[in-house]
Amino acid sequence: MKTVEILKKNKLPLFVVLVYAALFVFSPDKAMKSVGNSVYYLLEMMQVLPVIFLLTVVIEALVPKEMIIRGFGKNSGIKGNLLALLLGSISAGPVYAAFPIGKSLLKKGASISNIVIILSAWAVIKVPMLANEAKFLGVNFMAVRWVLTVTAIFVMAYLVGRIVKKEDMPADASDLSVLQINEDYCIGCGLCAKRFPEYYEMTGNKAVVRKMPEDEEAVETLQASVKLCPAKAIILSLEDVDSEKARKELNVSNT
Amino acid sequence: MDIFTVLFWVIAIILTVISLVKDQKKTVEAMKKSKGMMGNMLGEIVAIIFIIGLVLTLIPPETIKQVLGSANTLTSTVISALVGSITLIPAFVAFPLVGSLVTVGASIVPAVAFLTTLTMVGMVTFPLEKKEFGMRFALTRNLMSFGFAIVIALTMGVIL
Repeated sequence: MKTVEILKKNKLPLFVVLVYAALFVFSPDKAMKSVGNSVYYLLEMMQVLPVIFLLTVVIEALVPKEMIIRGFGKNSGIKGNLLALLLGSISAGPVYAAFPIGKSLLKKGASISNIVIILSAWAVIKVPMLANEAKFLGVNFMAVRWVLTVTAIFVMAYLVGRIVKKEDMPADASDLSVLQINEDYCIGCGLCAKRFPEYYEMTGNKAVVRKMPEDEEAVETLQASVKLCPAKAIILSLEDVDSEKARKELNVSNT
Repeated sequence: MDIFTVLFWVIAIILTVISLVKDQKKTVEAMKKSKGMMGNMLGEIVAIIFIIGLVLTLIPPETIKQVLGSANTLTSTVISALVGSITLIPAFVAFPLVGSLVTVGASIVPAVAFLTTLTMVGMVTFPLEKKEFGMRFALTRNLMSFGFAIVIALTMGVIL
């Protein structure tokens, strides 16, 4: 039961493992070569992913929601678009590194159009890359392609913003909800850690959160743990609700 | 590590320290959350990297060169754009490759189409993009990027 679930959640890695296994049997040369090719990208990933981790933490903890809404939100206008372009351009690393950043910003109220700009600029506009292009294809070539690409990115951002709505985005529970334990209330009965060892553990005589809920199902399970706690010390807050509230408040203060 | 990546590290570390000093509890909370999010992605990212390695073996730069240099501009533009969408080769390989073709007189239209889809369209990273932002977003963004890559290529053919 548990293994099936794990496999279901990791369809892509499983698929890749199977493909490589088959390749190693039928064409070991090609398999070895593919592994060799992958090493370069693995190194690149290890150089960039820790930074991305830190940046998502900073966006989450340090940057106030109102600032993101003002900077990158729906009503941020051209200034927001340019800011998004700048943010994407000064980044480093492959495009998949932009996904967590984009997601953190989206969650804090950035508009879909600006996410498109950040992702595209992240992929396309990089100073070392532009220098490389100018070197091999000429400054003219590079400059014209840059101007056309930036124009295309802005048009695309506008169009995607019209076509895709926030409701089309997956509601990832781990991003929407926060699990907390109020230390002052916790009586250290250990009930939560016993019933839901995946999410809670005991440190000294207080319960602490081990893991945030990763999907809707986990949130439902954890709602049961909130009810279970005799001291009502477990707080499961759905962030989506207060971001909606923050947005409304901002609109009120604007008008 | 190039200078930009180093700078990226420095900025991230400074900001994290500021965040820790300002509100340690909130920062640790955010770290737990990010750990969950990145942990979920990590398996997929590694899988994607191995797919990239495989695609590079199956479609080596020499093959890409042939496609880019083929005679019929229109078909080769579309095929080049497709090849660019599937592959993910590093810039320091892509630019010299395209540069050498253009110097010997190949049309720049397929070359630009290839360079543009190479970065903007990600067939290999599509599953990850879909998971993070939803099917509608990923599909719209990638299809549009493909279309615009061809438009950019044709425009450059006219201008240059």
